[in-house]
Amino acid sequence: MATPSHVTEQLHLRPSDQVMKLERLGSLHASRLSFCRSLVRQMAREDWTVNTDRFDLDADGHGVVIYRLNTPNHTYHGVVFSQHLDPARRSDRVIAEAWDVTFALVEGEVEASLLDQMAANVPLQEAGRQHPRLLVLSRANKSLRNFSHFVEALASGRQPDPAWLTRVGYLYRTTAVYGNGKFGIADYARLQKNPDFNRPFSAQMFAVYLLRHFSVQQVEHLAQMHSPERAVTLAPALQRYLGIGNSTGLGMAPFLINHPQLIQQWVYGRERALAYAREQLPDDAGRRELLALLKRAHQHFSETVTEDAEQSLRNEATVASIKAVMEWLERTPATSRLWTDLLAWADEQCALEAQELINTLLIELYPDIIDAMENELGCEEILELQPEMRAATLKSQIERRFSWALDYDPKNPDHHYWFWYRSAEKEEPRLGVRAAEPGAEKEMLLAIGPRIYRTHQLLDAFLDRCPAGSVVEFLMAHPRQKETVRRIQTMAATPYGEIQANLWHRDMKPMHLLRTKLSFFGASRFDPKSDRWVRVTLFQGAPLFCELFSDHGANKARLAELDDWSFPVQPELESQ
Amino acid sequence: MKVSFNELQGIGRKAFAAIGFAEGDAIDASEMVAWLEAHGLGGAEALKKGLRYIVTEDQSTSPTLVYQDADFSVLDAHNHSILGNASLAVELGYARARSRGLSITKIRRCHNRILIIGYLSRLARRGMNVTAFWRNAHDPLTEVVVGFKAGHPVPEICFYSLDDAPDDTERNDGITLIMANHVDLLPSLRSDYALTNLMWQTEEDLERLKDRALVEGMEVDDELWRSLKSLAEQLLVEATDASRGGAGAGTNDND
Repeated sequence: MATPSHVTEQLHLRPSDQVMKLERLGSLHASRLSFCRSLVRQMAREDWTVNTDRFDLDADGHGVVIYRLNTPNHTYHGVVFSQHLDPARRSDRVIAEAWDVTFALVEGEVEASLLDQMAANVPLQEAGRQHPRLLVLSRANKSLRNFSHFVEALASGRQPDPAWLTRVGYLYRTTAVYGNGKFGIADYARLQKNPDFNRPFSAQMFAVYLLRHFSVQQVEHLAQMHSPERAVTLAPALQRYLGIGNSTGLGMAPFLINHPQLIQQWVYGRERALAYAREQLPDDAGRRELLALLKRAHQHFSETVTEDAEQSLRNEATVASIKAVMEWLERTPATSRLWTDLLAWADEQCALEAQELINTLLIELYPDIIDAMENELGCEEILELQPEMRAATLKSQIERRFSWALDYDPKNPDHHYWFWYRSAEKEEPRLGVRAAEPGAEKEMLLAIGPRIYRTHQLLDAFLDRCPAGSVVEFLMAHPRQKETVRRIQTMAATPYGEIQANLWHRDMKPMHLLRTKLSFFGASRFDPKSDRWVRVTLFQGAPLFCELFSDHGANKARLAELDDWSFPVQPELESQ
Repeated sequence: MKVSFNELQGIGRKAFAAIGFAEGDAIDASEMVAWLEAHGLGGAEALKKGLRYIVTEDQSTSPTLVYQDADFSVLDAHNHSILGNASLAVELGYARARSRGLSITKIRRCHNRILIIGYLSRLARRGMNVTAFWRNAHDPLTEVVVGFKAGHPVPEICFYSLDDAPDDTERNDGITLIMANHVDLLPSLRSDYALTNLMWQTEEDLERLKDRALVEGMEVDDELWRSLKSLAEQLLVEATDASRGGAGAGTNDND
């Protein structure tokens, strides 16, 4: 179950009507609690090792590569199938049917029979039937320009220009990373007792991290094939600066709405971390450390490139705000109120993205008390009915905890302008204009606000007839309200599960939903390509497999150094 | 074909929604089927037998309350599958037991009764002791007793037949639920009649079966899967140029 409100009362948490506004959620950044960061810390702390078991790539880089992962608990294998892709078929959309690489993370050994089964099915992705020992199934397409530039540079004996990675921070971008039983692979329930991958999305994040390793090996292999005499390997600084891209569309929205208890845990973890951080006694060392982090973030956002006009403006505002924050911090002594005053000042002076950036960086200062929360970001998800509750209590619960939902006005066409649906094209989630496009009768029930409003209306009428009635009696009269009622009853006990926005509203921006989830994954370089899909980069700046050792966590200084990779900046190569 | 728990649950949810189940009922029904299948109790087979009837049922018809007092309720499910909104009849019994300590709920004229076990698991997790009893056939007479201890997600289940059925038995298509807040209600086989024990599943047996299903996947009949998929597809909206615009990346991303 998600953590209920009463447990949180000791901490000064920000109110849900501030935190859960969609625009603020859409301004979040990756933090040290993001899944990429947690995974890298875990790999370093536990000295995970990866070896190449098989490297069968031809001169074009096509073939099969198998990696073996050893953790203190288990053995896994990453299997990558690389193939020629006709440029006409290269699409990031979920409706694509072929990709440059397809890959999977397998629990245990990869016997010949399993490899045959995978070779026949993994490249087909959704169209195949996948083996239940696969934990993750994914695919990726090349960034053709970066790929060619990297191969040509390395083959000619020089390093690629780092600026290419600043513009587009990857060689490959994933277009879907499937877990939890999709297309026959292992259910998440199977991982819940597995200490390696029992955190949300950790197996998926590992698969992405492994693809990054593959992308380096593949370009080095191609350079070697093109020019065996002159080819050089990729400089470690560039390997680190290389991430993995991800193209994401509206498919993220249903997850956010359909997993409110999980969202509660993610947001609660982050808010608790912030509350802990702001309660720590500031000192000058902390002030200087924050200034250093701000300086790096300033460079990161100054370098970040996007063609999206709105995101460009947001980045510019963030850069300007960081500069102002640094000036404020430089002139403000480290009194006991420094953090409280800083956050209050930022709330008044800075744009939303900058406010959340400062929160993110403040959390960085106190790893010892904050990192323990990374084990609390998952939960058992079940919405439970309390049928014995008085219907009047339910109504007052709505009025106290879900007042934002009662702002819905059914008479205002703007309040039900959009509808969400799944397209017949590979079940891709889409957004349609209710008054103009067909399919509203098949809409996905993602707009929680209007549904709560409807329940409240029905409760009002029911209570006129049966003032002492119970919830089960209300439901016997209105059985279609069961799901909304149990959601209200369950989520009322928690502060942060519900995104406080009407997802039908004409002014609703789906990009905020995408960014909410991606920030918890650990994505950076948000590069919206329309109001409905975005490209991001994962693991840019993260340490490499070969760097991941810390004497099983005993070497704290090394662990801290390995973990310090947020908001990466363009490296300066020695030869340049 | 082999499917995962999440797949069976997901396709079931969409299929039931397409049939006309309310969202909560579609979620519960798919959970009941997947729960039973994962615990080796034939959820998919039970659904296969019932599906052709379920698609013809009027999903707006709820079980009707025939009689109730403070701790005893009788409901008529109108010959519908238990997968529909019969969960509210169960919740009524739960609410009564919460307020009175013990309740008895009889749901008359219902089908697919075995599938209710998955929903009763929810009540047990909420801290309720639950026993369900029903008769499966008249000749030979088969009885099923399912007992959940409060807080335990899996029950003990006993299927047995009576070699010597009493003369006054009648065909029974109902189910009786007994719920108690504070006392165990596990099944007991003490009886004056001669019993043939057809199946006895302990909590440990069922946990083991579930673990195996998570490792190996679950075998589901191809024809059932096709039927569910075909129903689920009814919820999809045909693509148009308008719908493709801005839905995601371009159809060609050679950058």
